[in-house]
Amino acid sequence: MGQYRAWLEAYGAAFLDAAAWTLGVAVAAFVCALLWGAILFFLRLNGGPWAARTVDAYVQLLRNTPVLLPIYLIYFGFPLVGLLWPASICGGLALVAQNGAYICEIFRGGYKAIDRVQHDAAKSLGLMPWTAFRKVTLPQLLVYCIPALGNQAVLLLKDTSLLSAITVVELTMQAKVLTERTGAAYAPFLVAAVFYLFMVWAIEVLTRLAQRGVRWR
Amino acid sequence: MEMTASDLWVLAQAAVISLLMALAAIAFGTLLAVALTPLAFAPWALGRAIYRLYIFVVRGTPVLLLALLVFYALASFWGRISPYAAGIVVLTLYLAALIAEVFRGGVLAIPRPLWDCAKSLGLPRLSILRRVVSPLVARYALPPYLNVCVMAVKASSVLSIISVWELTLASREIIERTLDVYRVLAVAALLYFIMCFAIDRLGRNLESRLAARGFAGERL
Amino acid sequence: MKQVWQKIFAHAWTTPAPLVAALVLLFSVAAAEAQERSRLDEVLQRGSLIVVTLGTVPPFAFKDDKGELVGFDIDVARLAANALFRDPNKIEFVIVTSDGRWPAIESGRADMGVGGTTVYPDRAIRVAFTRAFIDSGISIMVAKSAGIKSLEELNQEKYTVANLNNPQMADRAQMFFPKAKIITFDTPSGEFLAVKSGRAHALQIDTPTADYFAATSATDFEVLPTLLTASQNNGIYLKPGDFKWWLWLDTFVSELRTGSLYPRYAEIYQKWFKKDPPPQKFYLPPAR
Repeated sequence: MGQYRAWLEAYGAAFLDAAAWTLGVAVAAFVCALLWGAILFFLRLNGGPWAARTVDAYVQLLRNTPVLLPIYLIYFGFPLVGLLWPASICGGLALVAQNGAYICEIFRGGYKAIDRVQHDAAKSLGLMPWTAFRKVTLPQLLVYCIPALGNQAVLLLKDTSLLSAITVVELTMQAKVLTERTGAAYAPFLVAAVFYLFMVWAIEVLTRLAQRGVRWR
Repeated sequence: MEMTASDLWVLAQAAVISLLMALAAIAFGTLLAVALTPLAFAPWALGRAIYRLYIFVVRGTPVLLLALLVFYALASFWGRISPYAAGIVVLTLYLAALIAEVFRGGVLAIPRPLWDCAKSLGLPRLSILRRVVSPLVARYALPPYLNVCVMAVKASSVLSIISVWELTLASREIIERTLDVYRVLAVAALLYFIMCFAIDRLGRNLESRLAARGFAGERL
Repeated sequence: MKQVWQKIFAHAWTTPAPLVAALVLLFSVAAAEAQERSRLDEVLQRGSLIVVTLGTVPPFAFKDDKGELVGFDIDVARLAANALFRDPNKIEFVIVTSDGRWPAIESGRADMGVGGTTVYPDRAIRVAFTRAFIDSGISIMVAKSAGIKSLEELNQEKYTVANLNNPQMADRAQMFFPKAKIITFDTPSGEFLAVKSGRAHALQIDTPTADYFAATSATDFEVLPTLLTASQNNGIYLKPGDFKWWLWLDTFVSELRTGSLYPRYAEIYQKWFKKDPPPQKFYLPPAR
């Protein structure tokens, strides 16, 4: 146990910093991904056959390829057209692009659970498509999709570890740097795991609160 | 240096390994999840607690650490195991947690009236499970389940730390030798795409066959 | 408010503390195996050598275009197997990523490790090293088109240098160009891409690797003549505490560089670095 205390004293601050980066990027990326996923799904529903096909192609492309590809393309490729954005923003964008695709699929699954009656009612009230989506579909979707969205949030959190490839010093990168420096087999990864566990616990608490809040409607 | 045709062949072999590991993990993981999900709704609190603990630990720990744990720490109890076996075990445990959560979401999405109907008909529990819950969960949970299957193919990439050779490690090896980053990544991405897309199409096929009448979006 | 509080602490028992304790305990148990007999005896009894290595560090250990593991360090490991068993093929390689080296050694999965691994005091607390079997150095590579000709030029605020995530490079950067910005990657390919895409102007890399890339995949780069260090020590690494095994490996390396195995050493050195190794003894002529 003593070696862990020595570890924490020497490297605790570095890990806290890295944890802050992980959390920051994850939260920002998730919120944007929710928005992006909602927009994508709306376009799929109401945009006509061509829009639906484009969204479908986009979703297929981003779901079925490793997320390292958009990360690399944005970080290394954009400077070639003059856009030199910081690493965390490049990484965040790539995460939003991919998770937006996943969230669109999650919404597609939840959509089937909404009774057709709701949509007919919205139409008969003369609501515009975006308003109907915002006020009728989206709230119900969010309710049905809460466990899957919670899942996705956890996955996005874990995906932030890929940003270590483009110099963002987040938890996994910090653990790798320390492993290189000190030859310690497990300790840096264990410490990083503790941080990840705390964050995942927070996500789970929020998910359950959200669920209980809407359960008995 | 550019990548060569024999590099392409190496990548193709690695892709097959990734696919086989993913399929094995999906199969075992689904079985494990089917056993786990009822635990989430168990009438006794300890059952629910065990379920939540399992999901929490397996989802919350980075898969990298899970891999190290299974391969090294547990190997001191079980003896030497092949990295591929350990890799499949790790992926199975991990996917089971994700799939169980997907199934749980499916069960929760069943409208209350259906539960009340089933109960008022006096159906035994097993019958409710077979005739009411399973078909509905299969429909609700299929898109997120496909999500997880697709993720499984890519998830094996982290196992390279325990010497599992698969597509991501193979592409990394070629990149570090040739520095031909974009071309190799593009080929690897294409191979992943082919595998994941195939799984997705099969799943969509299944989905349209299961589409029930009376639910919104049956033409999606 | 009280209900919200209760809801949150309904989950209190899932707080990570008991889990962390369990994880730590598990690892401590796994790591605390008593050394009963030496690894050397085990290896001799088994009849083959298990070596952990990386697969992505040319020219030390990498995969060629047929997918075969080749490299200077691989050939050295085969020489070790030959010295033990008279057969360079009685060897098994466990290929991991760089973080996977230490668990492989510590758990006893592998007998020894190679792969461009540099001896560093901080690491030596937890991992044992033999003496160096090859000198390495750290060089700077720049794009030929950038027009940077010397190390001193780099020490300006307008320049960014790409590093790898090992401690030596961080220290060197502090020493030689403190004014330049540093970005850190975990692979050389990331560094090269950074320079090609304009995110960095130069990169730090091991000298043999720099020479390898300048001759093969990165011909539009050049290596600056000044080394950042005169010599780094790349050694064989193994689990500490096993004197008998360390003594054999260290003796083996000593014989490679200065003794009976020198001709074989010179052979593989020529093969991978296209030049003669340093002389056996300072008073002897180089090679032969």
